[in-house]
Amino acid sequence: MTAITIDLNGVRIADDVEPRQSLADFLRERCGLTATHLGCEHGACGACTVVVDGKATRSCLSLAVMSDGRVVLTLEGLRNDQIMDILRRQFHECHALQCGFCTPGMLIMARDILQRHQSPDANTVRHELSGQICRCTGYANIVKAVVAAGKDLAAAQAHALAGALAEAEALIQAEVQARVDDQVRAQEDAPPKPGTE
Amino acid sequence: MKPASFDYVRPKTVAEASVALGRKGVNTAAIAGGQSLIPMLNLRVAFADLLVDLSRLDDLKVVTRSPDSIWIGALTTHAAIEDGKVPDLFNGLLKRVAGQISYRAVRNHGTIGGSVALADPAADWPCCLIALGATVRVVGRNGVRVQPVSEFVRGQYETTLSAGDIVMGFDVPTPSVPTRWGFSKVARKSGAFAQSIAIATALGRSGRVNVVLGAAGPKPRALRTVAEELEGGKSGDELRPAIEADLAQVAPGADDYQKRMHTATVLRAIRDMRTQ
Amino acid sequence: MADHPPADGWIGASLLRKEDARHLLGHGMFVADIRMPGLQDIAFVRSQMAHANVRQIVKPPEAAASVFTLADLGPIAILEAGPELAAHRHSPYPPLADGRVRYAGQTIAACMAPTRAEAEDLADRVTAELEELPAVVDCVAAMLPDSPRLFEHWPDNAFITGNVTEGDPPALQAAPVRLRRKFRMNRQATVSLECRGVLAYWDHRNDELTVHLSTQGGHVMRIAIAQSLGLPEHKVRVIAPDVGGGFGGKNRIMPEDIAVCAIAMKVGHPVRWIEDRREHLIASVHARDHTYDLTISADRDGTLLGVEGDVYIDAGAYSLWPTGSFMEASMASRNLTGPYRIRHLKLNTFTVATNKAPMGPYRGVARPGACFAIERLVDEVARELGREPFDLRRQNIVTAAELPYRTAAGMRLDTGDYVQALDTARDMIDLPAIRKRQEVGESDGRAIGVGFAFYTEQSGHGTVEWVKRKSRVVPGYESANARMLPDGSVIIHVGVQNHGQGHETTLSQIAAHELSIDPSRIAIKYGDTATAPFGFGTFASRSIVFSGGAVARASRMLIDKLKRIGAHLMQTDPANVRIEGGEVHGPSGSVGFAEIAYAANVRQEHLPAGMDPLLDVTATYEPTETGGVFAYGTHAAVVAVDPDTGTLEILDYVVTEDCGTMINPLIVDGQVQGGIAQGIGTALYEEIPYDEIGQPLATTFGDYMVPCAPEIPTVRMAHIVTPAQATEYGVKGLGEGGAIAPPAVLANAVADAFRKIGASFNETPLTPRRVSEAVARARRARDDAA
Repeated sequence: MTAITIDLNGVRIADDVEPRQSLADFLRERCGLTATHLGCEHGACGACTVVVDGKATRSCLSLAVMSDGRVVLTLEGLRNDQIMDILRRQFHECHALQCGFCTPGMLIMARDILQRHQSPDANTVRHELSGQICRCTGYANIVKAVVAAGKDLAAAQAHALAGALAEAEALIQAEVQARVDDQVRAQEDAPPKPGTE
Repeated sequence: MKPASFDYVRPKTVAEASVALGRKGVNTAAIAGGQSLIPMLNLRVAFADLLVDLSRLDDLKVVTRSPDSIWIGALTTHAAIEDGKVPDLFNGLLKRVAGQISYRAVRNHGTIGGSVALADPAADWPCCLIALGATVRVVGRNGVRVQPVSEFVRGQYETTLSAGDIVMGFDVPTPSVPTRWGFSKVARKSGAFAQSIAIATALGRSGRVNVVLGAAGPKPRALRTVAEELEGGKSGDELRPAIEADLAQVAPGADDYQKRMHTATVLRAIRDMRTQ
Repeated sequence: MADHPPADGWIGASLLRKEDARHLLGHGMFVADIRMPGLQDIAFVRSQMAHANVRQIVKPPEAAASVFTLADLGPIAILEAGPELAAHRHSPYPPLADGRVRYAGQTIAACMAPTRAEAEDLADRVTAELEELPAVVDCVAAMLPDSPRLFEHWPDNAFITGNVTEGDPPALQAAPVRLRRKFRMNRQATVSLECRGVLAYWDHRNDELTVHLSTQGGHVMRIAIAQSLGLPEHKVRVIAPDVGGGFGGKNRIMPEDIAVCAIAMKVGHPVRWIEDRREHLIASVHARDHTYDLTISADRDGTLLGVEGDVYIDAGAYSLWPTGSFMEASMASRNLTGPYRIRHLKLNTFTVATNKAPMGPYRGVARPGACFAIERLVDEVARELGREPFDLRRQNIVTAAELPYRTAAGMRLDTGDYVQALDTARDMIDLPAIRKRQEVGESDGRAIGVGFAFYTEQSGHGTVEWVKRKSRVVPGYESANARMLPDGSVIIHVGVQNHGQGHETTLSQIAAHELSIDPSRIAIKYGDTATAPFGFGTFASRSIVFSGGAVARASRMLIDKLKRIGAHLMQTDPANVRIEGGEVHGPSGSVGFAEIAYAANVRQEHLPAGMDPLLDVTATYEPTETGGVFAYGTHAAVVAVDPDTGTLEILDYVVTEDCGTMINPLIVDGQVQGGIAQGIGTALYEEIPYDEIGQPLATTFGDYMVPCAPEIPTVRMAHIVTPAQATEYGVKGLGEGGAIAPPAVLANAVADAFRKIGASFNETPLTPRRVSEAVARARRARDDAA
């Protein structure tokens, strides 16, 4: 057994593991996090994809011992993630899942794509989804959902930026106004200058 | 589909790693990204008593540029190269090759050193590094040695690595004039192992030409006759006899279909190189 | 994807799925996700040889109690599988080997340990001494007199042989056009992304064996488990949790299921077996594997006359309970006329045992092979006559005026407009534009081809049809139990299983339509024999027809009682009330369902005198036309092919289809697109070859190619809606249709690209090697002729 410490979904986990245990089995069997699915255990289907140190990672091709000291995120830990929120909504609206088994890995990979590509087009999404097997949907609606989510995200970011600018401008204006007010007040408070009357 | 038991160490230095890997009487295996080794362990087609984790050796992560070459540390991932984190002085060839290896989540962890050390005949990096005339630096119990990648890879899953040897990285000579290149690959589907890979490179408009074919024989090999004919000004279908002659050397077991396929990838790589 | 007009009411509404939320949050619950105290894992020792006598099984002495052979499982009844026909030969298939193994991957022993890794360690320490026997790997050669036998007591290797003779086949000898072609659709796996899995334990409180099983139909599996173990059925509970795809592959009882249940009876803790991908590829249900040697006859004017020849089904080593794979041959032969006016048939069928994994159903069952054969033959006749293949199809296809039409093989094609489906597909793909493009040629050296294929999809077939097929289980009805709870919300238990089809959504739409309440007030429950009424499960494109009908009937029974109680509460006659918006309306006022349901369940003093309390009804349903209703469609595709590498790109793919009334068009489109993706897998990628000694050569996804997003185009769809006459709302089943036509349409498209040199593409998958070699053969033949 080897001692490891992992930052898992924001929680520090310390445990002893057999070196041969995959990160996937550690998550599922030791930590009870079963959103991460095993579809092939040789890196070809993508159902087990999680995030390790910010990178999309096959948890079946990763040993728990090798994840020692890393930051690991699974779908369970992305409940309040902005991109995942958008993706979940688009997957639902576009009917991008049927049996749901590939869905967690698909969502993790989709989030990774949106973090690397600003508003990707369908071809980019198709290429980037290579290696994620979905046996039910025929992919069309998954591609559609990720493209739509990319647009939503860009819009949300633009909106956030616009909001920030508006806020900044409001602050500046408030400050300007405050200065004007100060000056006015100063003038009002100031004793009349000699000779002005 | 779970691996048989093994022990695990994560050495802090290359020297420690070399000692661990060289332990007598122990079946050791180096693991870097693990993207090829772990599937084989999971399937119980590969076994190890001791896994030596190289993945945190900073000495193997160095990427530097010198006036006439670029040094790519063995632990550089395919994704890092795809994302342009390695200066690509070859007109985008490295990015192109990296970007279509397997799948992104695999590229995030798979390393260039691991790929070359495994020496899968269908792998992309041995083919590419041979085409670029790269050398590999290996450190081991007998010190450091530098070897052309074309000699380091000896055959199918066979290299000059011996117990305790560790691939440090690759020195890739940088051209004085812009490289033109063509890259062509046939695979059954996206990300699948290649059935044929051809890389053609040329220095400038009239410079030295290299054409390397992978997945055709036990190791990627340069097509010398083709290169000479190209340098001699031939093109397109005029090259077919030369390709046939070279295939007889580098892929002696190829059947008619494989010959057609390899010929097609070679011609396409050359065409793409010429149109750059 | 097609756009759908806003629906009027719940029938036809693209309601977003109720199933999505749990999966999107990672809260799906599949068999492997179930956690139980004391749970142990099973790994199986499997045969390394295709055919062998098992001389001895040596257990490691220190762990002998954790290794189970057949003798250790206790008395197990081996169920006879296949049709109830005397001519069908019994192939006893024990859960663990009984002295003989007949395919590489067959279970020999089961090893139990706290983790799967340790169970595999133990399996590695078990020695199975095998004495190799000659393997039977070619299903045609298997029928030669000198072939080795799988079962000594059989006179040859056929599970069953048959023939179909219709019309006047001898007259075909004089036909002006006679073309003989051989076709192969190779063996593949079903590849649900969730592999199979079973978790079992003895539940002491309920005094029953509880079995969590990844299955398409728990009730039918319970019959097999109870019979195999000698338990009364009320002592067996089968729970299907979330099921990660089935496609047919989870609709048979498998040896691992029985072995795990038997072990659970012997040990005092839960045990499970979670199939891994290698096991799935070598030892789960295999599919397709048809060989055709056919002659088509036609007149000079292109009129198709008849089909003669042999159909071989390589069925693997055993029949799987309940029905085996005998339907492959009968369905293939009965579909070989396609939708055409072909009146003469003479087919010999052979369902052959070989040393390969047993064959089971897979989306489309037999029809992808039959469609491939007949649609390729149509194109071959067109080429022979110098005709546009599309025109030849249109000339021979059954017209709307001829429907209902009984085909030569006896199938009653019911409603629709086949010509319209053809024409729409032609217009969508723009055939003239492609012909023009072909004249110009491609600058990159690739060849462009366009292909068409037409399919029909029998669905919702009932008792008479299954009895005719001598089916051991007759899935001629479905059931629904509807309960209105005191607050007026509704729970409906159904006997079908949802593994991606969206039943929780579509069936609630049907109930919402009937009950005039919102689907959010209705829960559809399934997958537990303890709570669901008996039903057969989900397969054969049957759920919307059967279960949809049962839900409609149960809802109407509720309505009937709601009306009677509502009328009573309003002191009026039931004839004077109507239902609207979740209320019973009378001549002067209304009363809500909640009030009625509260009375019916909790305050029975408000009920009419003599009325039984509760709003709890169970309905069964079978359509009025028991031969089934036929969905149909036309697929058309444009491909670009590199003749040297043999690689192929799908440039365009269109489908026009008619599945009658659509309950939820969003889900219909999803089924069509998903079916086509699997069909493209069959057509281009997926194959499990065996070598000459019976070793499977595709045992991982490194060798077995499952298409990913770059390989599958977004299909352009058009819907024709011709309601069925025999079903509720006019629905037809549509789950399988997408998977039927792609091999035919893509092979026709590739053949079209090389029609000038006469290359034939008659074997799937159309791998780059097969494509390039077919082109090379044709070029050589042309050069030789010149």
